[in-house]
Parts: sequence; structure tokens; C-alpha cells
Amino acid sequence: MPLRIILALLLLPCLGRPNLHAQEFHLFDRNVQVHGWLSQGFVYTDNNNWLTMNTTSGSAAMTDVGLNLSTQVTDNFRVGAQVFDRDLGKLGEWHPSLDWAVADYRFTSRFGVRGGKVKTVLGLFNDTQDQDFLHTFALLPQSVYPIDLRDAAIAHLGGDVYGRSRLPRRLGDISYTAYAGRRNDGLHSGYPYLLTQFGTYLKSIDGLQYGADARWSTPARGLLVGASRMDQDTSGRGTAVNPAGSALPMILAHEFSRADWTNQFYGQYVLHRLEIDSEFRRYVRDQLIFSGTSENDTDARGWYIAGSYQLARRWEVGSYYSRYTITSIFKGVLGQSVPPQTDTSLPLNHIYDKVLTIRFNVNRFCNLKVEGHFMNGFANAPYPDGFYPQENPNGFAPDTNALVLQTGFSF
Amino acid sequence: MGHLKLLSILFGLLLASCSLARAQDVKIIANPGIPADTISIRELKSVFLGETNSLGGVHVEPVLKKHGAVHEAFLREYLSRSDDDLQKYYMALVFSGRGSMPKAEDADDDVIAYVSKTKGAIGYVSAAANTSGVKILNVASSNSPPERRLITRIEPDYPEELQKRAIGGTVRLRLTISANGSVENAELLGGNPVLGESAIAAVSRWKYAPASSRTTAEVSIPFTPNP
Repeated sequence: MPLRIILALLLLPCLGRPNLHAQEFHLFDRNVQVHGWLSQGFVYTDNNNWLTMNTTSGSAAMTDVGLNLSTQVTDNFRVGAQVFDRDLGKLGEWHPSLDWAVADYRFTSRFGVRGGKVKTVLGLFNDTQDQDFLHTFALLPQSVYPIDLRDAAIAHLGGDVYGRSRLPRRLGDISYTAYAGRRNDGLHSGYPYLLTQFGTYLKSIDGLQYGADARWSTPARGLLVGASRMDQDTSGRGTAVNPAGSALPMILAHEFSRADWTNQFYGQYVLHRLEIDSEFRRYVRDQLIFSGTSENDTDARGWYIAGSYQLARRWEVGSYYSRYTITSIFKGVLGQSVPPQTDTSLPLNHIYDKVLTIRFNVNRFCNLKVEGHFMNGFANAPYPDGFYPQENPNGFAPDTNALVLQTGFSF
Repeated sequence: MGHLKLLSILFGLLLASCSLARAQDVKIIANPGIPADTISIRELKSVFLGETNSLGGVHVEPVLKKHGAVHEAFLREYLSRSDDDLQKYYMALVFSGRGSMPKAEDADDDVIAYVSKTKGAIGYVSAAANTSGVKILNVASSNSPPERRLITRIEPDYPEELQKRAIGGTVRLRLTISANGSVENAELLGGNPVLGESAIAAVSRWKYAPASSRTTAEVSIPFTPNP
């Protein structure tokens, strides 16, 4: 979609006096709510192309759009669905997906079940990472919420049990979610795209995903702490360039998990206009590749601390420090030719990102953000982290400064 | 110069106090079908944040105002949030598939009209609003003991003669509930005395969740004649 049309669509509701409360209609004697959002970004970097965009020339190939419908069928039973589409450089490319489609029955506040395609609860923001209007920052800390890997953990086809319970002796509340299902990545996401540099073209990537999250709203006002765990057993199938010669027929490529888990620990403190968030995520992925002839053991660790402050009703400022390291060791056939990457002090194996953001809320429905990223490292490993060799054929510079402009509309 | 500065600060504070509504300027209203007469701040917060959808075993649904001083005062006093914070909170639920936006109305009259006709609805309006058709919920401070959960509710008989003559209304009772949950005493506070007798007969058979000591509660029981 041409950028001008998108911007025009975005700006129209921002200019007039908004009157968008009536986003519901009646169907079969039920109220059906309609909500949606559209966001448009522009990224410029001084070194290294980032997030599969040609950012060194400035790129506006960063658009998200989503629309959902939901209705309360009975007092305790609710159904809804959301479609999502995006264009992020070479990812997404306007291939719409069913983001979630849920039937939710809440027996009591302590126990409910939901099934269908369900957003995966993982840390503070996994399930709301696409909704930029909910966050001060244009890009959430990429060490924990990599925008190019959203498909890997965003949702599962299965079911959740969830609830919230008050603890005795005024010890606060505890919320829990436990889930199991299958993840199903879009082929227009970061991992399949990364593999194309090796001549591997996945046709499917999916597998079992299960885990749990527990969060404690502590008696200290505004303080929440929590932990999430996610286990996966994934399998990717496709074709690969024949190692005996590229003129020969492609061979079948099959990869599958030996171990795949994520631990995430987090805390959030909200006091009036101040919000402080911090999270640590460790992702361990031991994958058998090339039909089991090689093995790749990847250990990605990320953490961040972020603070945001609402200066006035319309103005917010924020800053975070995000730190990401990755190690990668090949075993088997590839282990004989590819050296291990284990020194996380090298720019090859880390990304340290300092970020400053200003957000202006035009009104309840529209916002503008200006954000600066000051990064060291590019972490070029066999698992994606924002910097792709395909977009940087001449190699990487150790430092990257990025300017991100973003505007969003939601209702 | 110093006096001028002090005066301007005082004037600013005066203006702020005039424009800000306070908790006592807000009335919590509920559909008459909700048996509770009192709601704790904690329960109010849970209901308006969508954390619970029942109160004393009865389904409840929050109704917000879209804007205004009463809206701001309610959010500040009872939810400890600004309007923007509340919007973000609900948007996060809506866009992750975990909840829906609550009903929101413009004016006091609209809130009252919706609450009066919607089973389980709870809303808030300015203290000056005419609240006929809805009941007022007293807000207990967080230090008050939590309202006891009603386990067994027996509906009162509606005397045939009164129903035939379309005589109805709401009976208000004060109950004394023993530690083990049985109703020890019921005192008529208001309403038709004949309907009150019937209501007392019914509530005497109600059973509440056990507690560490004897408590009291005020309940309202509506008698609605058939049209």
C-alpha cells in the first residue's frame, strides 16, 4: 500500500475531533465490539541495515495493522478474533494472518478456560507487543521482544487455563496462566528469512508449545513481579541447496528440536506517572539440522531496564538500556567447519542498545513517537536478532545509531 | 513579591479544588437486582478492572462514564488510575483477546438508565443525580471487614393479593449474621411492611460463608409486580 495513502488514513482521525466511542454493532441480539489499529514507522540508521529494511537510506517499510471483533455471548462466555497484517522490510510483506481467535469461559475469577488460537502469555508484554499505542516506546527492547521473531512466541493453537486469586493476610493477588498447544510460524518471519542466506527454504515451521506464567501483585502498591516458562518442540521442513553443488537438485531440509525453552523473569513498578519495567529472558535452543547430520546449540540471553514518565497529559518520555548476548556452537558435520561463537564481549555476539523516546499523544486515538537507538554490536548468529547478512552484504560495522519515527492510530 | 507568589499559589490551589470532584461527590449505583447494599473498595476495583464478574455470587457488569469530573474522581479515588491508564489497561485486554471494553455512557442520566434496565450493572454518577430506578451502594473502606459471601439464597414469597394489586417496591433489611453463617436477626429498615414480613421469612433461611465473628449486612430485596 503506498505510504501516502497509509499516512492519510492515519492522520484523518487525528485531525478532527474524535468521536469513536460507538465502535460496536448489533448482531443476532448481541453487541459486537470492533477495535483496530494501524501504525506506520520510519527508520534511519547511520550504519548497518536493520530489521530487514534498507534503513541506511531511510525506510518506511514498517507498517502494522490489526482489526478485531468480540462479543459477550453469555455472562461468562466470550468469543472474538483478530486479524493482523504487517510489512516490515522483507518480513510480513502484507500476508495477513489470524492473530487470535478465542472462545473464553470464565467460571469464576479464580478459574477460566480459553481455547482456539490464543495469544501466548510470556513476560510483561509478549501478548501486547504489536500494539505500539500501549507502550511509550516505538520498539520494545529487542533483547527480549525481537520484532523480527514475533511469530515464534506470539500465539498457540490450543488452550489456556487462567485465574486470579487474592492471597491471605493482605499479601496481594496472584494471577496464573498455563497453556499448551501448537505454534505455527508464518513463513514471512525472521527465522525462515535468515535461513535463506544459507540456501535453505523452509516450507513449514511449527510444533508443540506449552508453558506457564505466574505474576504476583505485591502488597507494595504498584509493584508486580512474575516469571514465565515456555517449552517447545518445533520442526521445520523445506528444501536446501545441495552441498555437493548448487547445479544439482535441491535436497530436503529437516530440522527439529532437541531442547527449546525460555525462562523469563520480570518486575514492574508503577507510581503515578512513572513506570519502571525490567525483564530477563533466556532462550536455549538445541536444534538438529540438515536432517540430523548437524546440531546447533544456541543460548540467547537478554535483559533490559526501562523507565517512562508522563510529563503532561499528552507528553511522555522514556528510556531503556537493553542488553543481548548470544552464543552458538555447531556439532556434527557443520561442527567441523564452523567455529563456535562463545565470546559475548565481541560485537559479533552481542547487541547493547541505549534508547531515548519522546511520545506525543495527539488525542486518545493517535500518537507520534520519536526514538533514538544507540547500539553496539550486531550479533550475527544462526538465529535472528535484527541484523541480517542479506541486507548487509559488505559486512557489519560494530556500532549503529538509529532514528525511529512512528505514528499510530487505534480505536 | 513573596506575598504575590503566595497569593498566586493559593489561588491556584483554590481553582484546583473547585474543579476537582472528590469521592463524596460520587455515588455508586447498581441495578436493584443486586442484593448487596455495600461494596468494598477492593471489590469495586475488581469489578471495574474486569478481574471479577460476580459480587456475592451474582453476575455484575461495570458501566463507565466517558469523561467528566465525576469520572476522573471515581478513577482517582477507587481505581488509583487516570483515564488514560484505564484506557490502556482495557486496550491491552481487548487486543490480546483477554477481555472486552466495558460499557461507557456520556451523562449521568444515560448511566442511570442503563444500570436500571441491565441485570447486574454497576455504575457511578454525581452525588446530585436523581437515582430513581437504581440502588445506591455504600462503599466500605478497605479497613472494613469484607462483605460475606452469600452461599444459600431463598427468594421471598410475593403475597398474591399484593401482586394482584401491583403493589411492589424494595424492602431494605439489616441482617445480623452469626460466625457460622446463619442469619440470627433481620430488622426492617424500609419498604412495605407486608413485603418486609415475607422478606424476613426468606432471609432467615439464608446462609453466608463462615467468618471469624458475628457481622451485620444491609440487603435490599426488590418485589416487582408482573406487568
